[in-house]
Amino acid sequence: MALSLAFGLGALRYEIGHFEHAGPGLFPLIVSCILLLIGVAAVVRSRFVERVPMDFKAKNIAIILASLCGFAFISEHLNMIAGIVFMVFCASFAGTSKYSVTRNFKIAAGLIAVALAFQKLLGFNLPLY
Amino acid sequence: MDVLHNLAFGFGVALTWQNLMYCAIGCTVGTLVGLLPGLGPLATISILLPLTYSIPTSGALIMLAGIYYGAQYGDSVSAITMKIPHASSIVACIDGYQMTLKGQTGLALFTAGVSSFIGGTVAIVVLSFFAPKLGEVAFLFGPADYCALMLVGFVCVSFVTTGSLLNGMAMCLIGVLLGQVGTDVNSGQQRFTFDMPFLIEGVGLISIALGCFGIAEITKNLDNKDERTPFNGKINLIPTWAEFKRIIPSALRGSVIGSFLGILPGGGPVIAQFAAYAVDKKVSKYKHEIGSGAIEGVAGQAAADEAAARTSFIPLMSIGIPENAVMALMMAAFIIKGIQPGPNMIAGHPDLFWGLVASMWVGNCFLIVLNVPLVRYWLSVFKIPYAVLFPSILFFCCIGTFSVNSNLDDIFITAVFGFVGYAFLRLDLDPAPLMLGFILGPMFEENFRRALLLSRGGFGVFFTRPISGVLLGLIGLFVAWQLVSFVRQARSANTDRGIADITPVPLEG
Repeated sequence: MALSLAFGLGALRYEIGHFEHAGPGLFPLIVSCILLLIGVAAVVRSRFVERVPMDFKAKNIAIILASLCGFAFISEHLNMIAGIVFMVFCASFAGTSKYSVTRNFKIAAGLIAVALAFQKLLGFNLPLY
Repeated sequence: MDVLHNLAFGFGVALTWQNLMYCAIGCTVGTLVGLLPGLGPLATISILLPLTYSIPTSGALIMLAGIYYGAQYGDSVSAITMKIPHASSIVACIDGYQMTLKGQTGLALFTAGVSSFIGGTVAIVVLSFFAPKLGEVAFLFGPADYCALMLVGFVCVSFVTTGSLLNGMAMCLIGVLLGQVGTDVNSGQQRFTFDMPFLIEGVGLISIALGCFGIAEITKNLDNKDERTPFNGKINLIPTWAEFKRIIPSALRGSVIGSFLGILPGGGPVIAQFAAYAVDKKVSKYKHEIGSGAIEGVAGQAAADEAAARTSFIPLMSIGIPENAVMALMMAAFIIKGIQPGPNMIAGHPDLFWGLVASMWVGNCFLIVLNVPLVRYWLSVFKIPYAVLFPSILFFCCIGTFSVNSNLDDIFITAVFGFVGYAFLRLDLDPAPLMLGFILGPMFEENFRRALLLSRGGFGVFFTRPISGVLLGLIGLFVAWQLVSFVRQARSANTDRGIADITPVPLEG
């Protein structure tokens, strides 16, 4: 099993480890301390374990997140149907097969129908239009 | 004969039209997500959790439970026909797929279905006898013991899901810290909120679950880019009597192993399968055939899988501590419905407990119908291209997040956790312990503070109480063992540098 525990992660843990805030913080303090210990242990171990290059593909996750945020943003300022259409079209860029506008329209129409069903039949409070 | 009486009462609850319908929905959805790649039971339950707000309590729980054990059924179908394991059916890929190669797909599917049925039935018997008994024991537990028990759970889950204690524990503790965000229950003070109004209530469970499991999984699947070829072979489901006779002993063995391993903290379907497979390999009459497509190789693990999925409800319902991430989500569902799982639940809500137990058996019947005679139709699900599927999943994630508070800001939080979850995935860290830590965190703190209050600030109470002392001792032993094995490995790696083959701590539980 590939252990991609490089130093970056250890540093990340340090940050969380010192994340102490005023107030009734005894418990968070204890937990953070243990986490810090584990972070140190992980860093120590990472010296013994071979480093594994991390394959981080930024493209797909960026597209997906953009479509999510876009959905929320458009739904807030316009309405949710536009949000759904945007999400489907935006997210499809991440797909593997060819980009097809007609297919996207079909998917969007199907999802809008589902959303309408949720709103009318299950009584969800969706700002559809 | 109390149990029989109670079970009869439970069936009375489970067999109402409404609950039958919810059970059927749960099983169908469960099978579907078991079949589809990229949507495990965890993601599905978190998507559907908000949808259950408007459903009556028993119906909602029956449905969610159905999704969980239904997914275990569906999982083995895709493993057998196409060698695609998802959440749990890694073992089914070995012999099941070999049987497909030999042209015995139908037999393998039949075996998996029937063994799962047997496993489920045995587990339900165990559940109905054992859960009330364990509930009585749970009354002996003090706050310190609860703390120790949760720690054991953390350690076990961390080790089992990630294979590495360090990574898993780190995830767990990050989860616990995330659970700290929001208003402190004891003092009313706000912690880690950065003065942002939407953090006062804490980070939404659904946001984390959907981000880490839903969105991260979708992206991972998109990255993988492998096209699936649907299974088009012939399926002959009816076995001969001789073949049928071979299923039974192996399935019974698997059920017993699965039922037992399902109860242990950190246990659950995955370990149960491996254990059952290993046992079959040792004791079965046909052990020489296992690995090359033997009935026993499918039957034992399928039964263990299903049995463990059900007995893992025992710790949740009788002690009130979930033992894996799915159960933690189930616990969240209980709490949303205003029911605190724990020793008082069986006595306080007998209709719920016995109804759920009975519904599991009803679900079992649904599933065997869905998965044995109707399996052909399920296989056509694979013909849906992923390009159609993933926008829909994304849509359900959005609706799920939104409908918790009718708040669009939650979607942004989900997006953030989607990114975090994806980063974890790429770092080979399993978000499941994080989920468990997040849900148990507040409970852990509560009990921890209470224990310290009772002992007037002394930590001795954790070691002097027999139950917590023993549990903490076990954790200590386990950690020591891990350290020793790590040092040994590092040494042997140093001695033979030539071979660049470093396997981290053994995975087998």
